[in-house]
Amino acid sequence: MLARVANNLFWMGRYIERSEHIARYLNVNYFSSLDAPNGLSQSRQFVLHSFLFMIGEPENDPEKVLDEESVLFNIGLDPDTYYSIINNVKAARENANGARDLISTELYEAINKFYHFVLNYSPDYFVKQGLYDYTMNVMERTAILRGKIRGTLLHDEVYSIIMLGVNMERATQIIRIINSKYHDAILAQDNYSDKMSTSFEWSTLLKCAESYDMMRRFYRKTPDIICTLEFLVLNDNCPRSVMNSLNQVSKHLHTLDLDKNPKKNSTAFLAGKLRSEIEFMNVEDIEKDVKQFIQRILEQLYQISKRMEEEFFKY
Amino acid sequence: MKAKPKNSLFSSYPQKPELFDEVFEEGGNIKPIYEKLLYLYGEHSIKDYVNLNNKAKSSFFNQGITFQVYDEEKTQEKIFPFDLFPRIIDPREWDIIESGAIQRSRALNLFLQDIYHDKKIIKDKIVPLELLASSANYLHQMMDVDPPGGIYNHISGTDVIKHADGNYYVLEDNIRCPSGVSYVICNRTALKRALFGVFNHYNTYTVTDYAENLLQILESVKPHGVDNPNCVVITPGMFNSAYYEHSYLAKAMGVELVEGRDLFVENNFVYMKTINGPEKVDVIYRRIDDAFLDPLEFRPDSTLGVPGLFAAYRKGNVCLANAPGTGVADDKAVYTYMPEIIKYYLDENPILNNVHTYHCSRPDELKYVLEHVDELVVKPVDEAGGYGISIGNKLSKSEIKQVQEQIKKEPRKYVAQPILSLSVHPTYIDEKESFEQRHIDLRTFTLLGKDSEFVLRGGLTRVALQEGNLVVNSSQGGGSKDTWVLKKDDRHASTGSE
Repeated sequence: MLARVANNLFWMGRYIERSEHIARYLNVNYFSSLDAPNGLSQSRQFVLHSFLFMIGEPENDPEKVLDEESVLFNIGLDPDTYYSIINNVKAARENANGARDLISTELYEAINKFYHFVLNYSPDYFVKQGLYDYTMNVMERTAILRGKIRGTLLHDEVYSIIMLGVNMERATQIIRIINSKYHDAILAQDNYSDKMSTSFEWSTLLKCAESYDMMRRFYRKTPDIICTLEFLVLNDNCPRSVMNSLNQVSKHLHTLDLDKNPKKNSTAFLAGKLRSEIEFMNVEDIEKDVKQFIQRILEQLYQISKRMEEEFFKY
Repeated sequence: MKAKPKNSLFSSYPQKPELFDEVFEEGGNIKPIYEKLLYLYGEHSIKDYVNLNNKAKSSFFNQGITFQVYDEEKTQEKIFPFDLFPRIIDPREWDIIESGAIQRSRALNLFLQDIYHDKKIIKDKIVPLELLASSANYLHQMMDVDPPGGIYNHISGTDVIKHADGNYYVLEDNIRCPSGVSYVICNRTALKRALFGVFNHYNTYTVTDYAENLLQILESVKPHGVDNPNCVVITPGMFNSAYYEHSYLAKAMGVELVEGRDLFVENNFVYMKTINGPEKVDVIYRRIDDAFLDPLEFRPDSTLGVPGLFAAYRKGNVCLANAPGTGVADDKAVYTYMPEIIKYYLDENPILNNVHTYHCSRPDELKYVLEHVDELVVKPVDEAGGYGISIGNKLSKSEIKQVQEQIKKEPRKYVAQPILSLSVHPTYIDEKESFEQRHIDLRTFTLLGKDSEFVLRGGLTRVALQEGNLVVNSSQGGGSKDTWVLKKDDRHASTGSE
């Protein structure tokens, strides 16, 4: 496979995954705030600030009053913001175009339909009443894409490259969402007796990662900070966990490079190092300093991605 | 049995007696080969038909089978307009087209071989030296180069039309990078999806075997000493108007689709950059124009090509299909010598007719052209895509003057031909929700390999969608139809009744 095309496929996977996480973050936070148990979490301004924090463009002045319609437009459908869902889908399709001869007609057609869906969605309708419909559609269409990726492609290196993109992005986004909701929980702390350890924001966080029901099933209790972090970071059976994503990354790197003893500082080496670090971590260590943990993991994920570029995508 | 159309789809079909209609005879009787088809289409009301038509359109759109149109403001994505009413070609007529297309391709190959080596045809005074000397597409770099397998024009797109006299004429040969073959396959797929029932009644050749034949042809021209050639398709990139076709062909052949930046040349061998390191490339089906192939040899500002590619080609380490420099032979001025060229190399009479052509470079013919602009089609000799063509009977007085001035300025640049009456075919017109006569042509696809040849049994029937328009190119707003070539033993159509 061509290095350039591999790069296209990797980013196609990343952009598909990214658009889904953004859509779900908007959906879950907006709608769970409507009947939140405390005043701050119910506040629309709180939610809008959280959106901007999550996509990486935080508003530094916490008192600033944000305009709901323009924030929604910026994140959902603005063709001029690099982080908007519409631009992520555009980029996914553009990357699919660059690898069109390698992916199945079925997968391409699904991406293309997805692109036309976001392109033709009315911004006016979206900011006024389409938030639920639009974000649900984005989530469902990304689920279809995942199905087409798994079900119609040859499980060879093409598949592995796409899945590397998907899982690298998933690990990154989960960490970013944890970061963002942790930030919210600090703000909501002591507001109407909402304690940090049992904050309402942990439920929202789990829902943002589509993991709430399974977490309940696994622990049989109301989410608190410990079990939420444990579930989303360390549980290797949770499909959205950082642990699971890194396991997938290692597995797919192995199909690209059959060497069982990866060279020092190769992609497989760096990924394996991070994977085992997390494997033998316990949640109390994370909870001691969540911010520092998040920074460290993000930095390492970035290093892996950078190394991958040098190793596989150089053209 | 001659039947009048009884169905509502064609009840208000306006038939002009001066045009040659492929489906209806003068007076409105259906030609035998189409009887069955009209009967089957007659089972649909116009409403059904509109429905089917819309479905076919959105299917093209969703599959991303689109081309880009360059506008002043932005590039737009458009569907290639597709007509659900197919064109049928009977086996006897097809034999003429097929053998004629092969004959032309072989003659053109020998012509190219000759003009890039000994130039016998010029020494024998069959074609004048100026013809080559003044052609922008003649590449002196190709002198004495021997392409692997001795083939120059591996892929040819010959455009033929049916004139009012019922005979086929060649309009032009395209032997640089002829495009359109992916639409042949898409049109067939779309028609099968929408109206699968009609296929049971006609014994039609498949068109899906093109890619496998193309791959065989490409493998047959592998460089010396290579056992299993590594073939690739090279594209200018995804913003090219024919990118869909490039990716389709690569996918259908199961080979890599590369861009210039994916390749590099080392010690005169060509490699592509893969995730596992460099991999040698042996045969390149190139969809990049000559000028952009290699910045070291041709346009130095080209970023689409590969530095050193031509040197590797000259050494015989890689094969390019089509060979560089083929453009000199599909020039509209060379076209006019085709009967002589065929006779000279093959000692055969041309199977397909050539349209009589006046050369503005010859003083007496220039005089005739200038006096008869209103009766002639005037074309620039080296433009592709239907640009710069003027059709005499469509021009106003002042426009005629303009054309005369242009010709006088650069006589070598222009040829003129009598206005041919392209045959017409019933075509569904969206705005009017009815069928009308529209002019059509046919692009055929011929493959030439080391010891083999292949003509795609079908081809792209292009439709000029504007009423009365004779220019069918997609860049000029043309559409297309599925084209059925019937097998010889087709009894259903020849009896023409239930």
